[in-house]
Amino acid sequence: MAELKLLLKYRDVPGIENIDVWESCGGYEGLKKALTMERSAVIDEMKISAVRGRGGAGFPAWIKWSGVLKHTDAPHYLICNGDEGEPGTFKDRELMLKLAHQLVEGMIIAAYATNTDKGYVYIRGEFVEPAKSVRKAIDQAYAKGYLGRGILGREDFNFDLYIHMGAGSYECGEETALMSSLMGERGQPRLKFPHGALPVDAGVWDSPTLINNVETYSCAPHILRNGGAWYASMGTERSKGTKIISVSGHVKKPGNYEIELGTPLMEVLDLAGGVIGGKLKAIIPGGSSVPILPAEKCVGVNMDYESCQAAGTMLGSGGFMVFNEKTDIVILMRRTAEFYAHESCGKCTPCREGTRWMFKILDRIVSGSGQPSDIDLLLNVCDQIDGRSYCPLGDAAAWPIRAGIKNFREEFEYWITHKKSPIGGDCVPPVPYRINPALIPLS
Amino acid sequence: MPDIEWVYIKINGIALKVPKGEMIIESAKRIGVEIPFFCYHPRLSMKEGGANCRMCLVEVASRMPDGSLRKMPKPQTSCSLPAAEGMEIETDTEALNADRRGVLEFLLINHPLDCPICDRGGECPLQNNTMHYGPPTTRFIEEKRHFPKAYPLSQYVVFDRERCIHCARCTRFTRDISGDEELNFLWRGADMEVATFDHTEYNSRFSGNVIELCPVGALLSRPYRFKARPWDLQSAKSICTQCSNGCNIKLDYRLDRIHRVNARLNEDVNEEWTCDKGKFGMDYISDESRLKTPMIRRNGELSPASWEEVLYLIASELKNAEGEVAGVGGAYSSNEDIYVFQKFMRETLRSKHIDHRMGPNFQSYNSGLLKRFGCPAMGNPIAELEDMKSTLIFGSNFVDEQPILYLRVRKGWRFKRNKVVEAAPQGLISEEIRHVTQFAEVSLNYKNGTELPLAQGLLAALFEDKGRPLGEQKLLSHLSGKNVAQCASETGVDEKDIRKAAELLATDKMCIFAGEYVTHSPDATAILEVLGDIAVLTGNAGNLNVPVSRNNEQGAMELGILPDMLPGYVEEQNPGMNTEEILSACVKEDLKALWVMNTDLVKEYHNSDLANSAMDACPFVVVTALAITDTAAKANVVLPVHSVAEKWGTFTNVERRVQAFCKAFEISPDIHAEWKVFSDLSSMLGSPMTYADGKDILNEIVKSVPTFAKCGPNTLGDEGVILNPVAGGKE
Repeated sequence: MAELKLLLKYRDVPGIENIDVWESCGGYEGLKKALTMERSAVIDEMKISAVRGRGGAGFPAWIKWSGVLKHTDAPHYLICNGDEGEPGTFKDRELMLKLAHQLVEGMIIAAYATNTDKGYVYIRGEFVEPAKSVRKAIDQAYAKGYLGRGILGREDFNFDLYIHMGAGSYECGEETALMSSLMGERGQPRLKFPHGALPVDAGVWDSPTLINNVETYSCAPHILRNGGAWYASMGTERSKGTKIISVSGHVKKPGNYEIELGTPLMEVLDLAGGVIGGKLKAIIPGGSSVPILPAEKCVGVNMDYESCQAAGTMLGSGGFMVFNEKTDIVILMRRTAEFYAHESCGKCTPCREGTRWMFKILDRIVSGSGQPSDIDLLLNVCDQIDGRSYCPLGDAAAWPIRAGIKNFREEFEYWITHKKSPIGGDCVPPVPYRINPALIPLS
Repeated sequence: MPDIEWVYIKINGIALKVPKGEMIIESAKRIGVEIPFFCYHPRLSMKEGGANCRMCLVEVASRMPDGSLRKMPKPQTSCSLPAAEGMEIETDTEALNADRRGVLEFLLINHPLDCPICDRGGECPLQNNTMHYGPPTTRFIEEKRHFPKAYPLSQYVVFDRERCIHCARCTRFTRDISGDEELNFLWRGADMEVATFDHTEYNSRFSGNVIELCPVGALLSRPYRFKARPWDLQSAKSICTQCSNGCNIKLDYRLDRIHRVNARLNEDVNEEWTCDKGKFGMDYISDESRLKTPMIRRNGELSPASWEEVLYLIASELKNAEGEVAGVGGAYSSNEDIYVFQKFMRETLRSKHIDHRMGPNFQSYNSGLLKRFGCPAMGNPIAELEDMKSTLIFGSNFVDEQPILYLRVRKGWRFKRNKVVEAAPQGLISEEIRHVTQFAEVSLNYKNGTELPLAQGLLAALFEDKGRPLGEQKLLSHLSGKNVAQCASETGVDEKDIRKAAELLATDKMCIFAGEYVTHSPDATAILEVLGDIAVLTGNAGNLNVPVSRNNEQGAMELGILPDMLPGYVEEQNPGMNTEEILSACVKEDLKALWVMNTDLVKEYHNSDLANSAMDACPFVVVTALAITDTAAKANVVLPVHSVAEKWGTFTNVERRVQAFCKAFEISPDIHAEWKVFSDLSSMLGSPMTYADGKDILNEIVKSVPTFAKCGPNTLGDEGVILNPVAGGKE
């Protein structure tokens, strides 16, 4: 198992953003094939492929697809989650920027399979260039008759695809918050099963809604073109196919690498040219939300959902961050906590108050005012957030901090005792706290 | 009523049967298990904004399809968890106690803990839950969030942002209940704060409710701020006097001062809401202007006098008048006062000239309704309104005229997907954007004064609909031969809209409201005939509502302050004069004395010139009043009488519900109950009335007026009783 280019196969073909070039690479063949099949047969093909959601949770895609198709009484909606905000992850950006047709084709296939005639690509607000690229792909697909009324002569298949730009909120990558945002409400999560309906039963505008990640939709053309069994032949027993890993940090060649699921973690590191600037200290394999792995635990871990879980971390969204020995874990954790404190939507108590509190404690430690009790306090705050928050953002804020303390406790203790970095740096001056304009007294 | 599907669950090992889908927090109440919460509120939507405080977490094991029990790995919020067969819940474990401590610690890290100077202190859910479940100390040593104190949101509400715990009750209220959507959150994360758009004024007719909803001292009443501590206040069950809806309220007072008004739960009337008119309008009770002694006009000036003196003077003047006496007013007095007043006028003074109506219409529109449908005002009880599949609001500034009925109709739209059709004159819709227009399926925006042709247009559209039975041909006479197109051009409403509205109205559960633009119209009787036809034609005969607007106007009608009706709508054979005729008679000096019953006649009567000259011309005018009003200033004698806070009594609200209010305090021994004045005078004039208190009178009403048969002082309870239907009626 090693690098295996499937989604990224045509990334470097000149002019691949044009529909003609994409077609010459076999583009829209998957769609044409899908249209010769029954809708349920397309979903069966997805089932055979066993492709799992690539947004981070790894939920089998076909279950969602068939869940939408079974509804016959309300309009269906299709949503592509392109609100890629997980620190360390940049695969969707590249997929939309360079291979927008692959995504559009995947969405049309999903629309056909779920009998949907309206779709939205929800793109992160900062992704201006990728959004332009998707816009161009949609326009070209309309011109060629892949989108619109009576697609490819099929009278019973209409599909319109729209782009919706986010407004800069990490939380809107959470599917229910994304749907709130899409409907023009505050970007806050909504009740989930069993408290509320599943999106496939009542998502946007209380209608059956299919929501998948960019990468998940991008798999569909390949699965349809080559068959689900072919796709399922890749990967491990339970994690099928390929995954794009966004490698960043202290490596020679950071970038997106597509690998067969189950590839050893250290092989990914080698693909990116290995660690630079010193020895390997730690790796975060799945985006900033997942627990950090110290170097000694990295060996023997494979990049698939099960192996990562067994090692105490997660494959997540594939944001593979590499840290060399000169990295100060406490400062890294402070930065991570700052991100979550900034991105907490504020809806529920544990996440709203807890993330800000964690950041304040960590900020205090690296400013030289750490207390011996702070480490236990941090762990306890993590416990009070984890599993108690409204949506997984709270969990995602607690996991990295807890793992950071668990694996590198001595660095926290060093900071608190010596008021300086174990790596050799001095205290980081306190960051001037962002001034909330509402704090200014109203006269 | 659909059959309830029951499921069996266990809470803390206790097995119980609950309706499927009931929230676990409610199920727990059934067996007396208390689950702490902040954001949960059964009347606010859960889907958009609930389950955020995380205080009500419980441990859940749910039944899998194969029958096995699986414990959910994370604790779940009981406020949003629907009960399902076989669920087993634990609410009191070590882990949950730790979770609650955690949530409270989080809530308190940014809470200023300035309880000693907080109005909410003593009745604060945050305080109470912290005492029960919270950590004894905090581990937070950083700087708390700070905001300026007491930011004014509106003339009634101030906002202390530091204290806010972001439970979203207020924001959900403005969206789910009041419908003005004025409050929402700004920013996000720990910077989040409740605000109005662009920090403009919080402009709502129901803003006072957010003060009661707020589980901390963040949203506070401006008039009440720093006036009292909750434990120093006494509370009296009362009824709001600001309109006819009869909201159940609590008067919170200290000594003889009202400090605040809070809502009192009555599922059938106001649920737990009040409008701002009521919540902030009851302070007249302990206002400085209250009159505390009787006044007599001497040398052209009103000057204080003793009760003996004034009663003697009045008795002799009334005796001399020999029946040439009239009485107006009564819509603000209690049922007991009203009953004794009409008895005093009719039996002691032998005068039939009594009327509570202030015009401009005296064509007995209500008796027209009575004849046809047997209902003198509202055909539907308030609680029924939320189940009407469609509602026609015709010619009414509904939210101002009937605030609590408005909330019911809106509730039906918001939570039960009912449809609302609005017909309002052109000026009204553009000015009142928060009005019914906002959620009406169709808004018929007609030219001013064209209520009749519009109603005819709706009726014609219903007739033209082929699905209507044509057995109702006799109703056609009210159309005056018009068709929909003619009505459309006359009213300036699009013909398509009229047809669409008519289509929406043709359901088996439909009701019609006629507002003041109908009742004040010269065509009132004709319009109501046509609206009645619409109700009959759609199979909803009796669902025509013509709500009255003043406090006890309904009671004045029921108990016969009408020249042509005795109590209980018994027809008077030789009717007396109505208000207009009484005032004209005064001007012509045909009457020797006029009694104005607790009403500012000069202001309220639609023709103030006539009212003024009548007051000037009448040789002897007695006014009962709470304070010197414009009318009282013109009287020969002014008598200070009790307000709602100073006596026990009952009011009849717009849906004919008789509700009791209790005495809170006495302001002065020289202020008497109105009925006491009449019974004293009656005794002086040789017809003794021996009532000990209000309950005595109500007992007499129960015995003598059949509609009141179920309304004895001991049967009213806290929710009140709806009067018996009026005998007769029905087309």
